[in-house]
Amino acid sequence: MAIAHQFAYHKAATLDEAVEVLTRAGPTARVLAGGTDLVPWMRDDAVHPETVVDIKAIDALDEISLEGDHLYLGPLVTFSDLLTSELVADRLPILREMADTVASPGIRNRATVAGNICSAVPSCDAGPTLLVLEASVAVLGPNGARTVPIEEWFVGPRQTALEQGEVVTGLSIPIPDQPHGAIYLKLQRYEGEDLSQAGVTVLVTGNNVFRIAFGAVGPVPSRAHEIERFLAGRALSDGLIAEAQHLVLGAISPITDMRATREYRARICEVMLDRGLRAAVSRRDGNGPAYGTRLI
Amino acid sequence: MKLPINVTVNGETWPLDVEPNEILLDVLRNRVGAKGAKIGCERGDCGTCTILLDGRSVRSCLMLAVEADGHEITTIEGIPDNGVLSALQDLFISHNSFQCGFCAPGIVLGAHELLRDNPNPSRYDVQHALAGNLCRCTGYEPIIDAVLEAAGEDRS
Amino acid sequence: MTVTRQPFEAATPDDKLTYVGTSPPRIDGLDKVSGAARYVDDLDFGPDLLFAAVVETPHAHAIIKRIDTSRAEALPGVVKVVTGADFPFGFGLYMKDRYVFAQDRVRFVGEQVAAVVARDEGTAKRAVKLVDVEYEVLEPVFDPVFAASEDAPLLHPELKNYPHVPWFFPHNDTNIAHWRKTRKGDVEAAFAEADLVFEDTYTVPRYAHCAIEPHAVVSLYDRAGRLTMWSASQSPYTQRHVIAEALEPLGLTHQQIRVITPYVGGGFGGKAGVSMEIMGAALATAVQGHPVKLRFSREQEFYNTYQRQGLEARIKIGVTNDGTLTAIEHTMHWDAGAYVEYGANVVNAAGLSATGPYRVPNVKIDSLCIYTNLPPGGPYRGFGYSEFNFGLESHIDRIAHQLGMDPVEFRRKNAIVEGDTLSYGEKMNPSGLLECIDKVADAINWGTGEMSGDPNKVVGKGVALMWKAPAMPPNASSSSFLKFNEDGSINVTVSGMELGQGYLTVMAQIVGEVLAVPPEKIRVETPDTDRNPYEWQTVASHVTWGCGQAVEAAAIEAREKIFEVVHRVHGYEEDSLFLSKEAVRCTTDPDFELPLRDFVIAGIETADGSYRGGPIVGSGMFMPEFTSAKSDPETSQGGHPNVHYTVGAAGVVLEIDRQTGKMHVLRTALAVDAGKAINPDLVRGQIVGGLVQGLATVLYEDMRYDDNGRLLNPNFTDYKIPTSLDIPDEIIPIIVEVPQPDGPFGARGVGEHTMIPAAPMIANAVEDAVGVRIKSMPVTAEKVALSLWEGEN
Ligand code: FES
Ligand code: FES
Repeated sequence: MAIAHQFAYHKAATLDEAVEVLTRAGPTARVLAGGTDLVPWMRDDAVHPETVVDIKAIDALDEISLEGDHLYLGPLVTFSDLLTSELVADRLPILREMADTVASPGIRNRATVAGNICSAVPSCDAGPTLLVLEASVAVLGPNGARTVPIEEWFVGPRQTALEQGEVVTGLSIPIPDQPHGAIYLKLQRYEGEDLSQAGVTVLVTGNNVFRIAFGAVGPVPSRAHEIERFLAGRALSDGLIAEAQHLVLGAISPITDMRATREYRARICEVMLDRGLRAAVSRRDGNGPAYGTRLI
Repeated sequence: MKLPINVTVNGETWPLDVEPNEILLDVLRNRVGAKGAKIGCERGDCGTCTILLDGRSVRSCLMLAVEADGHEITTIEGIPDNGVLSALQDLFISHNSFQCGFCAPGIVLGAHELLRDNPNPSRYDVQHALAGNLCRCTGYEPIIDAVLEAAGEDRS
Repeated sequence: MTVTRQPFEAATPDDKLTYVGTSPPRIDGLDKVSGAARYVDDLDFGPDLLFAAVVETPHAHAIIKRIDTSRAEALPGVVKVVTGADFPFGFGLYMKDRYVFAQDRVRFVGEQVAAVVARDEGTAKRAVKLVDVEYEVLEPVFDPVFAASEDAPLLHPELKNYPHVPWFFPHNDTNIAHWRKTRKGDVEAAFAEADLVFEDTYTVPRYAHCAIEPHAVVSLYDRAGRLTMWSASQSPYTQRHVIAEALEPLGLTHQQIRVITPYVGGGFGGKAGVSMEIMGAALATAVQGHPVKLRFSREQEFYNTYQRQGLEARIKIGVTNDGTLTAIEHTMHWDAGAYVEYGANVVNAAGLSATGPYRVPNVKIDSLCIYTNLPPGGPYRGFGYSEFNFGLESHIDRIAHQLGMDPVEFRRKNAIVEGDTLSYGEKMNPSGLLECIDKVADAINWGTGEMSGDPNKVVGKGVALMWKAPAMPPNASSSSFLKFNEDGSINVTVSGMELGQGYLTVMAQIVGEVLAVPPEKIRVETPDTDRNPYEWQTVASHVTWGCGQAVEAAAIEAREKIFEVVHRVHGYEEDSLFLSKEAVRCTTDPDFELPLRDFVIAGIETADGSYRGGPIVGSGMFMPEFTSAKSDPETSQGGHPNVHYTVGAAGVVLEIDRQTGKMHVLRTALAVDAGKAINPDLVRGQIVGGLVQGLATVLYEDMRYDDNGRLLNPNFTDYKIPTSLDIPDEIIPIIVEVPQPDGPFGARGVGEHTMIPAAPMIANAVEDAVGVRIKSMPVTAEKVALSLWEGEN
């Protein structure tokens, strides 16, 4: 069935043109990249843009490249691109591990990483991982270009720092000091394509600096700074992990919904923190489970 | 307002005029006659609408028809080569890899993509690649077996 | 119990089967893998095809005060808007308690109150929003136990006036639409004498079939007044009949209605009977001359087709110390939903058989079909047995443990065998249940503990038995025509549906066996009520058995004609003739060989140049003449409601992560007594598919409603079904063959049965692994984890 409402479709040739059309069209305009969220949302009558600006005809937006000590992802980089990129496998295998949990090939071939954070559903898979990687989001708008640190990006469920007329032009991800280890744990009801019930990404660098972020257990994916501070510089032990687990409830605000109860989510986050910390450290030390191994 | 597009479907070029709000799946079925792409959920959850877009599996229910402009599409109708079924299709028959058959076109297309990208998949690879294509009838086992056999893997 | 029927006459003198018992390629294979298979929504109807969309109520229980269609009618592109006032007709399969469109009252969220027909789907959907309906909201009732009480609001004040089949017993002026009581022996005395009496309650939520093809129907009421429907259905003849009855006031008769069912994309009971198709039929009459398509969205598929009914079951069982079952009291409150025209028969079936496959001398079963303000309940693979088996087989396990007996041994000791008396007085048919139990126990190494390689995980084992009889009216019948073609190939027409189970192939094998023609030369056509002969419905796992007999009879009739003409021309005695390799041969003349293709159309030429014979055709019919639904309403004694039971057993080796509750099936085995597996690969396909579907109901799925009766997960995002990653590591299908005396070649049905033991075997394995007993389905990872944590605190 066609989407119920009519809208104008604009295929932009450049980012500047996209911004211009978006700005002119006002608040009811939406950017169309992979469309895997926008199209079903329109079909479900959940959003009603009057103008849709397709950016897929713009050149070179699907590049993954190394810029100094940063990995750059163009706004049209899909989850499949993350899975096949040697650069990603080599420098930031955590991105690959995360991408592997997203939906299924038919979605991953279209869905973009930038689109995932623009949709900003609380369970978005890219969220926790980009948070621990301290990515920044480059945007272009009527007032020019600016950069938004990922931690300021998520404003609420399906709400971001993106302003009217702006379009994401890329993600810049600092590659942590070597050696580092990281893991994305995603609790899902089904082993196959499913949304996250609760997720956590843990990253640890050589000097036992931990970065931890949770997804699907609060209105937005969020960093667990208090747990990070507690763990900073300390060597993992059963006791330390147990103490860190006590801090989990302060870091998350889970709710009960279709996919899980608040209680289950909360407790599972403790389990995932335990497994995540151990796996991240062992990966850093070169003896952890291979990236892509499911530990939950 | 109708927009002119050109899509190639199973090797034939189709110039079409489409409204921006038309879904590719509907256009393929109703205007091109490619009925092998099925309507199962219309929100990206089931995979029955799977097509290959420039060789990669996508869900045609999640695409506007206008987005297909200039692209090459393969549906199940385009898989046989001069009327000869692919080896995988033959194996689907010998393994009873379908029952009602409604999921089969999408799964065959997804499996073709997998085997092209990964000619020696493990059982897990096959399961993982097809995890977005729902089948209520078969329990998947005969599907996985057929794909593995197509890959030449000898499974005992 | 057994029907008197001629034993199978072998096609060849040595009685060796050629095609039955083999697994030739499915005859629908090429269609389905090539994309050639056409389902209803794939058919083309030309430029005058119209599209319908349904106006649905947002209320679970309300009086319709007023409907204003004027704004919708004014929308350009809208052809017609209809409401309940246009079709004030009741309908229903077993009880006429449903309406084409709601009349004065709506009874579940999503119920149809009106519909729009427009030139395109988008316009129809837009117009739906312009139909204004004013409601007076009434108090809804969702809990079946409360609904059965006197304090509950009455949902169907007209219950006493609804026509229904004679084996239903409605309780007027209550919400109890049917109450099946089965009584045998004296349960009270038996409980008093038992060494152990144990009682508990189990709950089962509602489930959705999730056939991947949504319901669709295209209906054309042509300018000559004929109604043709292309329907995604398991039940073409039943649809014709129910629709002819309902729309009779419009002048429609059976003769004037034609139902065509092309390939269907899965049914599982959801496409049995008549649900949304009644709207399609009615709408067609409102736009005469135009075909009109009604295709349900996935959401509608969830909330306005049949759902599997919810169940609250109280089970009390008495045993003696030596492990003998002496009494069972099983009280089932069924959440049957807003209309029970089909669902009441599910309740009825359970009410006759809720002892499970056990020998129990004292039985008291109460099965109550209760109206609630949720969507209509109906048939779903297992037809009541999947539902009650969760509680029953959980309870059996718990009693075995309390007795200190091995659960497999306890089941073995009490398992029903041929000749045992059933709850309603009849005798049990031949059954390989003990063999099934032993083979399953063997396959999962029952009695041997297993360890997980992961320190967080533990492994448990569980078993469950199952049985099921087809739930059919006593006169449910089948028929078949067959004809030869010039090349000796055969066309068979039947009106059973190919739902994916492989029915067409099995029918071809039966015909092929009798006529010595390979199945690939036999085309079996999907139904068209104008051309194919009668079949009741493709439900109840009965078509292999019932329609198989009709097909076999048609083939035998054709064979008799063949022998008769050969006898006339060549003089051989008819009983010396036999068929082999597509030719007629003779036991008394080894040199005689007459290929079928030489004469089955053209006849046999005689010396004078004239011909004998003619196109060979055959017809066959079948009705289980030994059944009867007549019995004492207070005890169910006296009738013969079921043709036979198919039995089986299943077992599982389950790994559980103690920290998360996540479960993974390492191995599962299911043995079913197929009587005779006409096509063993297809039986195995039913085992694997049915087990995975059964595992889905226990490990993952359930329908969730909010406090207002609105379904919260009408989509595959949140009512998800297992994916290719959510299946057991290993599935071991086991076929047991204790012949059914009246089945074609000894076969009986297995399609539904493979789903039935899945739920309790998981619950039993969970207890075995982690010591937690979950008494409500589904047994999700979350539920297991929460129970474990509760135990820790
Ligand atoms: S119809 Fe496209 S994924 Fe279901
Ligand atoms: S064969 Fe029926 S859905 Fe897969």
